[in-house]
Amino acid sequence: MPAGTARTTTGITVSIARDPALVRTVRLVAAAVARRSSQDEEFVEEVRLAVGEACALLVGQEVSPGTTVGPVEVRMLVEDRLRVSVLAAGTIAAQDPPTSDIDGVEPWALLRGLIDDFEITQDAGTTVLSMSWPLT
Amino acid sequence: MDLSLETRQEDGHTIIEVGGEIDVYTAPKLRDKITELVGNGSYNLVIDMEKVDFLDSTGLGVLVGGLKKVRAHDGSMRLICNQERLLKIFRITGLAKVFAIHGSQADALAER
Repeated sequence: MPAGTARTTTGITVSIARDPALVRTVRLVAAAVARRSSQDEEFVEEVRLAVGEACALLVGQEVSPGTTVGPVEVRMLVEDRLRVSVLAAGTIAAQDPPTSDIDGVEPWALLRGLIDDFEITQDAGTTVLSMSWPLT
Repeated sequence: MDLSLETRQEDGHTIIEVGGEIDVYTAPKLRDKITELVGNGSYNLVIDMEKVDFLDSTGLGVLVGGLKKVRAHDGSMRLICNQERLLKIFRITGLAKVFAIHGSQADALAER
């Protein structure tokens, strides 16, 4: 981007059914958005992993009886930072249990270790995983 | 890219060469392969991840599950991985200390 040019806000939203086969599609889109924001392949890889991980968690989320099993939505916004929100209906245990259920692996620990700015909010029956990265 | 799995025997070990992406969709295929091998008496596994393009926590879970399976039979599971982006995931999750991670098949097979 030329010096002095204001960065225009770009927003991309992808919505997928809760099908594990579709998580890869989200990763591809996330990587494309990250690559458009930065030439740093390490950054692109980090975004691809983080968004895919967040999406996989919500795709695999168990919803309470009576909750509509809706899609998982991924919103990406490119402004001063790359901001990504992954949303889905239903709530999710936001901590890894002391003895993790996924064969000893802690997905939340991976996300928290990977991203400096990571937040989980659960409100009105919707879980939102928010993350952002500074853009240079 | 889907997951590719090729197995062969060498020096008393079963080497599984994994290619493609190990994620929430494909990881069960790797889990099934490990379960099948252990069920057939292969307790010393070497997982070659040099051709793996992507690994998420589901894939890590399958590897940890496989390690538990072979250890239950006094076996071993060694990983071959040189890719920094994958090694970073093992470090973040603390699994770099759990697995024996080698830089080549020769190194993995040389360990006693």
